[in-house]
Amino acid sequence: MIKLTVNGIEHSLDVEADTPLLWVVRDFLNLKGSKFGCGAGLCGACTMHLNGSPIRTCITPVSAVNGQAITTIEGVGNPDKLSTVQQAWVKHNVPQCGYCQSGQIMSATALLASNPQPSDQDIDNAMSGNICRCGTYPRIKAAIHTAANNLSGTANLKNDLFTNIMEAK
Amino acid sequence: MTSLTSDIKQSRRSFLKASAMGSGGLMMSIALPGCATLKNGGVRQEGETEQWNSNAWLRIDSDNTIHFVLDRVEMGQGTYTGMTSLLAEELEVDPEKVKVSFAGVDSVYRNTIYGIQITGGSTSVASSWTIVREAGAATRIMLVKAAANTWGIKESECIAENGVIINKSNGHKLFDQQITFGLLASIAATYSVPSDIPLKNKADFKIIGKYNKRLDALKKATGTADYGIDTELPGMKYAVFTRAGRWDSQIKSFDASKVKNMPGIEQVFAVNNASAIGIAIVAKTYWQARKAQRQLSVEWHESELDNVDDASIFAQYKKDLAQDSGKNVRSEGDIDNALENAAEAISAEYEMPFLAHSTLEPQNCVAWAKEDSLEIWVPTQSPDMAQVAAAKATDYALSDVKINTTFIGGGFGRRINQDFVAEAAAISEISQQPIKLIWSREEDIQRDWYRPSSYHKLSATIDKNGDISGWNHQMAGSGVFDYFVADAAPAQYPFMPKFMYGLLESAGKMGEGIIAPADGSIYEGAEAIPYDFANINVDYKKSDSGILVGNWRSVGYSHNGFITESFVDQLAAQQKKDPYTFRYDLLKNHPRAQAVLKLAADKAIWGTPLAGCTQGIAIHKSFGTWVAEVADVEVVNNSLKVKRVVCAVDCGQVVNPDMVVAQMEGGINFALTAALYGEINIKDGIPQQTNFHDSQLLRINEAPQIDVHIIESDESPTGVGEPGVPPLAAAVANAITAKTGQRFYKLPLKLDA
Repeated sequence: MIKLTVNGIEHSLDVEADTPLLWVVRDFLNLKGSKFGCGAGLCGACTMHLNGSPIRTCITPVSAVNGQAITTIEGVGNPDKLSTVQQAWVKHNVPQCGYCQSGQIMSATALLASNPQPSDQDIDNAMSGNICRCGTYPRIKAAIHTAANNLSGTANLKNDLFTNIMEAK
Repeated sequence: MTSLTSDIKQSRRSFLKASAMGSGGLMMSIALPGCATLKNGGVRQEGETEQWNSNAWLRIDSDNTIHFVLDRVEMGQGTYTGMTSLLAEELEVDPEKVKVSFAGVDSVYRNTIYGIQITGGSTSVASSWTIVREAGAATRIMLVKAAANTWGIKESECIAENGVIINKSNGHKLFDQQITFGLLASIAATYSVPSDIPLKNKADFKIIGKYNKRLDALKKATGTADYGIDTELPGMKYAVFTRAGRWDSQIKSFDASKVKNMPGIEQVFAVNNASAIGIAIVAKTYWQARKAQRQLSVEWHESELDNVDDASIFAQYKKDLAQDSGKNVRSEGDIDNALENAAEAISAEYEMPFLAHSTLEPQNCVAWAKEDSLEIWVPTQSPDMAQVAAAKATDYALSDVKINTTFIGGGFGRRINQDFVAEAAAISEISQQPIKLIWSREEDIQRDWYRPSSYHKLSATIDKNGDISGWNHQMAGSGVFDYFVADAAPAQYPFMPKFMYGLLESAGKMGEGIIAPADGSIYEGAEAIPYDFANINVDYKKSDSGILVGNWRSVGYSHNGFITESFVDQLAAQQKKDPYTFRYDLLKNHPRAQAVLKLAADKAIWGTPLAGCTQGIAIHKSFGTWVAEVADVEVVNNSLKVKRVVCAVDCGQVVNPDMVVAQMEGGINFALTAALYGEINIKDGIPQQTNFHDSQLLRINEAPQIDVHIIESDESPTGVGEPGVPPLAAAVANAITAKTGQRFYKLPLKLDA
């Protein structure tokens, strides 16, 4: 049995230990927002947070995160309750095909959680593991700056960045 | 086979045929007359709600929900927003209030430019510009009539606005009262569709040219847009499919003894039909299937591609072209005479590589073979070709195949070929249960329908006065048409029985250039060289490499933009002229091109590069749209960095300005990947690249600043999804040449040590 806390909700799962976390979240928990892109940790479409840090879940065996806390795009926000980063994404019309954007938003959210006022260079460093084949990079950069502006002086950074995480039982 | 040609004569939409023809073009264009396509679908009761299908695109419910059936797929290029905007403009509703769904297969949804239901060639807005607005306008006219009759006032005293009709009859007891479209729908449904459907004048547009939201951004920023790979069905199983390294190889034998007892494995079997050859593994989970695949061993028969590699392919192109210059696709003046009288000739040879599409969503398809029908859920650029592919790969009749489409995680032309549909359909039929087939990234890169490689020989003649007198461009490579006609031809004739498909394919191939538009996938853009040279000759020799090829964002323009604009820069240098003014003067017969070129040069401050940079410029017309780009490039220690690209575009009337900007940005970054990294190498007939470590895509730290400027225009709208791509590589290459003197005859760009 594997135990996972995903977006604040605990799960016990009967799943083979070497199954990548991505497929467990997508196909066992039916959270489809995280995407499969390369299966090799090269594109970032599958990015989730493990205890707050972005990880590539297509190459993370579920056994390696047994008992730990995972956040997915569904935990960041939903259409009725957008996070600050998601609001900026909509404002700048960032997505084109949109397939990579869950991963982009997870990496951007992790960046802003640790560095609420990033420079262009900081953004390049934090986001270069996430490929966008449609080439939305200029808007990703602009949206992160907008989100950073909207976060400045916030009373509760975490609440603004994650609007949809259940309180852990 | 004259019946293949459209017999429809003249219509108000015939301009479309001329406007945006790219080589994605297959059969003849079918321009539909007047509003024959707008059929009142009447009212249906669904629970408490009455639903009026006012035509094939539009449904209005009694609760005033407006439903729009989008018949062009959304793969990032913005149809979801753009097409909805066209409808909303004439219907008089807020685009954000419209519920969009994706169309199934129906001849009414065919692309009027290509005659099949395809999203490609940057044609969505151009091909639907009139019909979708008419769909909205006709419905509004019927609603206004319903309101006028209800109130007993004149139609001219009713105003449609934001989903309601307002009573503007002075002195009427209900003056300024309103009724929703939804409440009027059941009355409007009893009227016939008006024969005259006046459309708004540009001055009256509220949405077109002004609307700047992206309607699918919210779903895509929250992970709630459903892509093909997200499809779930009850009892669905997962399939992986092992294909040969060489696409034409047949199965000799396979050994699944180590696979069958692995956890979750349900079935292992061979699939062997014309469009799907390989071994399927069906398992309870994706990972079980994928893991088991490593234990499968397959032996393949020898293939005609066994000894094919990059060198042999280019040797073949050169040999074929030397023997026979092929088809003349442009002839002006007398190039032989220009050569004879030339004081000097400048020549160059270009070699363009195969390119992968690398859509970030790998190819996938869900198929459910039931007793009487086969249902498919798939991210495809051509639902009717998907239907053909599924029917061909199974025993189901075409009419028993139902296609559902989804959001698409990138198309770029890859999803015009339907091999993943054929595979999934066959696997589900044999497996007798619903299955989801997912390709790995490696499979996606190694079994792509690549942008064809090609070989080009250019020469320019200089006359005794030192002026350029002639331009000669000869080229060889595979045509993409041959590689999708097998599914496209039957898609046009859904009433044909399956045993006719082979005949339709042959007829389609034979009819290329006669009943179907010529396949310009190698020469398009080259034949349209816009510069004012007295003698111009362009020849294309078809030389089939045997490697799978397909439409790749901007198709033939993708390489010809680079080749022609690199060679023009070389000529400017020979003439000792500035690359911008040299082009500008030679474009004197193309005022729209001159305006685009000037705008890009002005905005980039041509002649004043960014610190540490040099500048390069290029212009190319594709899909009816002129795009000029100025690249500011820094070259330091044998490495290059594109700092900024300034882009000017003339795509006629703009529907959504921000979407145009986004498509130019995206096209530029897509093209920059090709310029810096793009190549698929062939060895022993097998594509060599496998994943994003050896087939790199541009990353954010390499992406330039991009400034886009749009020419204000009243002309009919032309393409935007692809035209940002063609000029980019030349603009970058020309900027490097300005610094180092090195000229580039191959892509990707490799700096001399």
